[in-house]
Amino acid sequence: MLKKITAMIVAMGLVMSVSACGNTQVQTPTTPASDAAPAVATPTDTKSILEKYAGAGTIGNWGLGNEYELYALLAKYNLPLDFLSQDFTMDGFDDNSIGLASAMTYNELGLVKNSYDGGYNYGDTVAYIDMNDEGVAMLEDNLFTTKTFAEANPETVKAFVYASMKGWKYASENPAEAAEIVYNNGSSVSKEHQLYMAEEVAKLVDLSVPVGTMNDTAMQQTLDIAKQYVKLDDSAAATKLAALTLDDIRSQAYWTDIANAATFTPEKTDVSVQLKWLPQAQFMGYFVAKDKGFYDEVGLNVTIVSGGGDISETTAVSNGTVDFGVTWVSNLITSNAAGMELLEVAQVYQKSGLVLVYKK
Amino acid sequence: MKKTKISFSGVLLPLAFGALVLIIWQTELLHKIIGTNTFTLPLPTTIIRIIGENLDSISANAFDTIEVALIGLVLGSIIGYLISILAAIFPKWGSGGLKVIALLSAIPIIALAPVITNLTKDFSTIAPERSMFAKIVLVTLLSAVSMSVGVYRGLTDLKPFSEDLLQTYAATKFDIFIKLRLPNSVSYIFTALRVSIPTAIISTLIAEYFAEYITGVGRQIRENIITSQYSTAWAYITVACAIGIIAYMFLVLAERLYKKKKHKI
Repeated sequence: MLKKITAMIVAMGLVMSVSACGNTQVQTPTTPASDAAPAVATPTDTKSILEKYAGAGTIGNWGLGNEYELYALLAKYNLPLDFLSQDFTMDGFDDNSIGLASAMTYNELGLVKNSYDGGYNYGDTVAYIDMNDEGVAMLEDNLFTTKTFAEANPETVKAFVYASMKGWKYASENPAEAAEIVYNNGSSVSKEHQLYMAEEVAKLVDLSVPVGTMNDTAMQQTLDIAKQYVKLDDSAAATKLAALTLDDIRSQAYWTDIANAATFTPEKTDVSVQLKWLPQAQFMGYFVAKDKGFYDEVGLNVTIVSGGGDISETTAVSNGTVDFGVTWVSNLITSNAAGMELLEVAQVYQKSGLVLVYKK
Repeated sequence: MKKTKISFSGVLLPLAFGALVLIIWQTELLHKIIGTNTFTLPLPTTIIRIIGENLDSISANAFDTIEVALIGLVLGSIIGYLISILAAIFPKWGSGGLKVIALLSAIPIIALAPVITNLTKDFSTIAPERSMFAKIVLVTLLSAVSMSVGVYRGLTDLKPFSEDLLQTYAATKFDIFIKLRLPNSVSYIFTALRVSIPTAIISTLIAEYFAEYITGVGRQIRENIITSQYSTAWAYITVACAIGIIAYMFLVLAERLYKKKKHKI
């Protein structure tokens, strides 16, 4: 009998390790593969959908500083500010333990609807709520450094921003080529997903305005939402957060419109930039700038450092491990409230990429 | 009878060392030595202030952590003890089986935690319930391993000839088990607990990282580090240390009481 128990325990271990490996590969065939875009919820829908999933207690988000837009949305509809912790797969959405899941348009939403490797193939049987439509959008991916570094190396910062934005413009105009470049640079996801991501990211970059522009209205909205929904236990940090202004977190002084030719004399030529996550098309502008020689043109030798560990990009930039970082504006706000001296130097995404996806 | 005296090497020396570390920490000498700043490593006074400001939320999180660690530890220890008894009754394959079980403890907690969270999703439709269940399963599993491996030695590693002696008295296997093996295993329980108490606390903290329902000291440490709130993260790290130290103190106390009682007999 004990032998059996032992065998069972061993088998359990095997099952566990197998399912651990297969985490992101779970496939649930529901409808045939379809590239149809999921429908966006109309405002009247939003209220009833939010109420439904809030009532069931199955709204998901990753937490860890990604939850403020969700809080603002829930508050808008007078719902309790609760959510379940979502892991970095969409398995919870797939097995219905999470009914209304957080998803980035360029990443998780693609995995949910598409049929390629790692996708869940829900096609147009899912719909989503867009933070931009709901007026609770916060700005996300931007380029930042420390105030000290920017003051000591203004030409380096200007050159890096200029070449990076050039990379972003090229990538957003040519997402297929950008996806290929990212894929060849040690992508963390499949080729098909990379292409999907590049196309979706291009929509967030918004080429109708000069790339890297800081829109003060959108940025102020981000800061206002952060002030309202970021809860800091350290009273010193909370006081600082309440007093933060846009000038404490960003400067336009290092940004040059890439429509104009410019030359730079960088003080420091070897620089590094840490991404917010693993290499993927979310960061295609930097990979394109490196691949197309835009950094060489301004006299910089750039190392792109992968993110994704628990040592966040804000900490890495703050303590000088890397010179630049890519993060969300909300992360910059909380970091500066806690005492870091970070400075945003370019705003890459002009819209929020966060949506809440549900099964129709 | 010997009276317990406060010994220099046993009590005063560690206390003095602790005080010294606190002093060089507070005066920022420590920061110079290890090359960091008060942002990454806040001063003890800052940490204490934050704990004082957030007593309610910190004690709520600490309670959730202690609850999981304690339930998992008790369940795991009982299961582990029963497994070791079975292994001692059937010694032919018992020791081999235990080696296989011991392999379980070689699986990193950080790999096991998300897997168990996914496997236990059907336990309840209520997220806080299934979340707590998943955490307890992990702690139980790891506590059971260290208890079964530890106690098995206590049940089998007997004093030379004691078993033969009982056999000459025509004692049955059952008698030998009750009168010799079980009492002999008690001190091994304490040895096993010395390993499994810290393991239970650490695995609870890590299980909280991956739990669906957001609560606990471990999760707060992670949330605060990722959002750059190092001072608050350190407040929770301090609380985690305190939980571990207090649990260990209880164990040492229990062990002393047991030894005193044993010597009286």
